[in-house]
Amino acid sequence: MGKIKHLILILLVSLLGLSISTATPVQAAKQNKVEANTVLQKIQKSKQLVVGTSADYPPLEFTASENGSTKYVGVDIELAKDIAKDLGAKLVIKNMSFDSLLVALETGKVDMVISAMTPTPERKKSVDFSKIYYRPSGEYFLINKKDQAKYKSIKDFAGQTLGAQTGSIQYELIQKQMKKSKVKGLGKINNLVLALQSGKVAGVVVEELIAKAYAQNNKNLLAVRSDLKEDQAGNAVAIAKGQTALVKKVNQTIDRVQKDKLIDQKYLPAAAKYMKTASKNNSMSKYLPYFIKGLGYTVIITIFSVLIGVILGTVFALMRLSNVKILHGLAVAYIEFIRGTPQMVQILFVYFGVGYLISNLSAVVAGIIAIGLNSAAYVAEDIRSGIESIAKGQTEAARSLGLSQAKTYRYVIIPQALKNIWPALGNEFITLLKDSSLVSVIGVSELMYQTQLVQTSTYRGVLPLFIAMVIYFIMTFTLSRILNYFEKRMKHND
Amino acid sequence: MTNAMIKIDHLKKQFGENEVLKDISAEVDKGQVICIIGPSGSGKSTFLRCLNVLEHPTSGKIVFDGTDLAQLKDGKELDQLREKMGMVFQSFNLFPNMNVIENIKLAPMKVKGLSEEEAEKTALELLERVGLKDRAKQYPSSLSGGQQQRVAIARALAMNPEVMLFDEPTSALDPEMVGEVLKTMQDLAESGMTMVVVTHEMGFAREVADEIWFMADGYLQEQGKPEELFASPKSQRAKDFLAKVL
Repeated sequence: MGKIKHLILILLVSLLGLSISTATPVQAAKQNKVEANTVLQKIQKSKQLVVGTSADYPPLEFTASENGSTKYVGVDIELAKDIAKDLGAKLVIKNMSFDSLLVALETGKVDMVISAMTPTPERKKSVDFSKIYYRPSGEYFLINKKDQAKYKSIKDFAGQTLGAQTGSIQYELIQKQMKKSKVKGLGKINNLVLALQSGKVAGVVVEELIAKAYAQNNKNLLAVRSDLKEDQAGNAVAIAKGQTALVKKVNQTIDRVQKDKLIDQKYLPAAAKYMKTASKNNSMSKYLPYFIKGLGYTVIITIFSVLIGVILGTVFALMRLSNVKILHGLAVAYIEFIRGTPQMVQILFVYFGVGYLISNLSAVVAGIIAIGLNSAAYVAEDIRSGIESIAKGQTEAARSLGLSQAKTYRYVIIPQALKNIWPALGNEFITLLKDSSLVSVIGVSELMYQTQLVQTSTYRGVLPLFIAMVIYFIMTFTLSRILNYFEKRMKHND
Repeated sequence: MTNAMIKIDHLKKQFGENEVLKDISAEVDKGQVICIIGPSGSGKSTFLRCLNVLEHPTSGKIVFDGTDLAQLKDGKELDQLREKMGMVFQSFNLFPNMNVIENIKLAPMKVKGLSEEEAEKTALELLERVGLKDRAKQYPSSLSGGQQQRVAIARALAMNPEVMLFDEPTSALDPEMVGEVLKTMQDLAESGMTMVVVTHEMGFAREVADEIWFMADGYLQEQGKPEELFASPKSQRAKDFLAKVL
């Protein structure tokens, strides 16, 4: 009977937790949290225009290294600059994966998205678009040069796999017009190119300029004009729904840009200049500052997440061991829920979901919170098992001396438990360090993210990954040495 | 009696359906040494653990220092009363993460708020008393069972308790170490300490106890001076038990 009651309680608590956590985004999605015509006011008030883009799409948007620091460049960035100028605001670029852009827009993380985005009917359901500012000349197949004779048109790819950016127009085109081929979607172009070079895909479908940029910078690749038919080519600026005033302002800038032929005469030549520098100097040593910056963020994220994990984990462990049923139930529900959901989803949820409630939640803070909260569940279980491994006699001896429950834990139980669980905790910290790479999805400049930037800037896929791997290994190896040192020191004492 | 230190009144303790203590009333006087004997499973240890409320009694009263402990919930008041009742366990329960002197100093410093120097001074005196002054810096795992139990006694004494409870203090020891612990306890008894000892050491009980309590089946079957109880037990249960162990 008692057991059944207990189970029901746990179920209820988890359901409660679920309903609380799901209620917010559902409501927000219904009401569309970004209210009508508020974005323009916000931009004018803060004198800041936040533009979201997926900077891996030269010559439209990509990164270049200038004096050791990252610079976002390309046609779309130039346009963003002009829009910001017309709005009297300072331009802030937020770089994230293409498939996160619309979510970021809907949740108010960015004011607009300029990222070679085509206004499709599906997208128009969730966001509004400006007029078309740029009409690309058509889709290209990017293939390996050795397959030059093999792949020339759609029918040659029958039975083969083609790559395209997840959520992109090209992805849809392959699905609709190349029914005999399979499609593989990846978030970043440079990963698609890697897949192409390693034979995972036979070709990648990208827009002309991009295909040519990659072919130009990599002599093993070839750009071939495709015979895919497009109904609605053209890129537009995406803006949250209901922002008519802002759309109008953006359209005015686009009118000006088109009248003065800025794209052909100013934007493209500027972008080409950066692409040349990128192709000229691809040596890794030049990108050392990228890796160092990434390393710094990874260390910061790890340290703060570990702190959150240990503090909250201890609290949850004590709650789980508590005799107070509601505390126990809450802790069990939390631990089971966190352990039962993917960390990637949790990170996206904290950044985009909790971002509804706290509008200026930065990606780094969101990443630290998400990883810390995740770690807390595992740390709590480690600590609980550690505490339970201490014989009951220890508590009794301490209590019989007049020590309170709290002092018993502090001076007698926790120090012993810590020694028992140290190896498990160490594992958890090392896992956490490695898992911090997941926050690259929300655009935190940690090591993995920086590595992807280097891949994009250098048109080289494998070497940056190898360097990242070596850096991660040096970090985890150092950490495990430090943990071993403390383990030995604690062993010394008995 | 007016000088009763602990007054136990209709004490009952149940674990689920299992009634371990079934109505026990008794008194412990100041300065008295009481040995509780009886067959295994008779409730001796449970009774002792009820005295400092490591087990919460199901019903009845335990009046100590004018307070009914049985009514107290876990908290400050109970902690303060426990300070005055030292307890020694069968399995020593020294804190393995601290050395000998740290084991002894912990409670005086963290509960009574003594300074490091004061606590150190008392601890060294107590270690001298139990003959282990030279082991102060060693960790419990490097001590023999007998030495560990003597440290445990010193640790309990460091709180300057009014009464000492011993829960089969020699049962986990190798035979050659029983003597040193009993000797320490005998010295303590002679110094006038009030003691309640659950034990199977009949020789010790006969020699040191002021009063023997015989427990069986959850009842206090018989109380008496050792010479009387050992020589001519009144109850049949006591006769059977003594016939087996003596």
